[in-house]
Amino acid sequence: MAASFASKFSRGVGRSLFGGLGNNISSAAANLSAELTSSSNSLFQQHRTFIQMRTVLKVADNSGAKKVMCIQALKGRKGARLGDTIVASVKEAMPNGKVKKGKVVYGVVVRAAMQKGRCDGSEVKFDDNAVVLVDKQGQPIGTRVFGPVPHELRRKKHVKILTLAEHIA
Amino acid sequence: MRLEFCWFCSSKIYPGHGIQFVRNDAKIFRFCRSKCHKNFKMKRNPRKVKWTKAYRRLHGKDMTKDSTFELERKRNRPERYDRNVMENTLKAIKKIDKIRHDRAADHIAQRWKPKAAKERREARKELEQSISLIKAPLAIQSQEPAITVPKIKVKAPKQQTVEDQLMEE
Repeated sequence: MAASFASKFSRGVGRSLFGGLGNNISSAAANLSAELTSSSNSLFQQHRTFIQMRTVLKVADNSGAKKVMCIQALKGRKGARLGDTIVASVKEAMPNGKVKKGKVVYGVVVRAAMQKGRCDGSEVKFDDNAVVLVDKQGQPIGTRVFGPVPHELRRKKHVKILTLAEHIA
Repeated sequence: MRLEFCWFCSSKIYPGHGIQFVRNDAKIFRFCRSKCHKNFKMKRNPRKVKWTKAYRRLHGKDMTKDSTFELERKRNRPERYDRNVMENTLKAIKKIDKIRHDRAADHIAQRWKPKAAKERREARKELEQSISLIKAPLAIQSQEPAITVPKIKVKAPKQQTVEDQLMEE
């Protein structure tokens, strides 16, 4: 008897709260389930590590390359992290792009699944490993940059990539 | 400086704490600690996990609908700085905070209310059913019938309620 009473009480309150909320709390709650379902396919549980030799990265610009394989990290003993520059070999490319398959290119890691510390001590990580192809001087080869990029690129003097980017995280 | 809210448990994230995950569509998920991040990685829904704010709000455990929440709200129009307004706001924050705490405590007290009546009812029933354990049935019969169910005031566990309130907060 008591249990039924309690459940009735809580249910009544829940319903009234569901209907009568106009502020951000309810809208955030409503978004939650949608976000969960959409994020589920893009998340695999796996050990995230440095970008090292033979890491295959997506190309997040319109230079023509689709996928590149890291052949050398220009910084770091263990490998490259978010914002570092790598040397890569083009593994997949569009038929009529600027960059052809098999070419050796330079690239800046704009998204890395391995977390990186921020200047304030918190950490940031991304969905995938992605790179923006640049020439030896650090100028991007493509004219667009897709997807979010971290604001740390500014500290690495890649302001051009930041200006081209759609979203800055 | 900005205080963000944890995506999972809705607690405040002070600068330099936690981790943020940027999905490929540039949606940022901020987490206050690894506990929340792990729960997210396990694809748990915060509305179904009992210790989160989302659950407590949804199930009527916490106060949700109140005018004091109107102060802290995302507004689309940026406010121009005005010294007087700022001064008044700073004064109001303290006052409104106190009101909100009082109302939240009141909400929980209201939530606990049915329990006292329920316990009284159960105690009376127990007395009715098992009075024979302490008094022989014949002894009761010989006396006037009123003694079978004496009116006993069962004290509501007020002390306990106050303690639990503190725990809730």
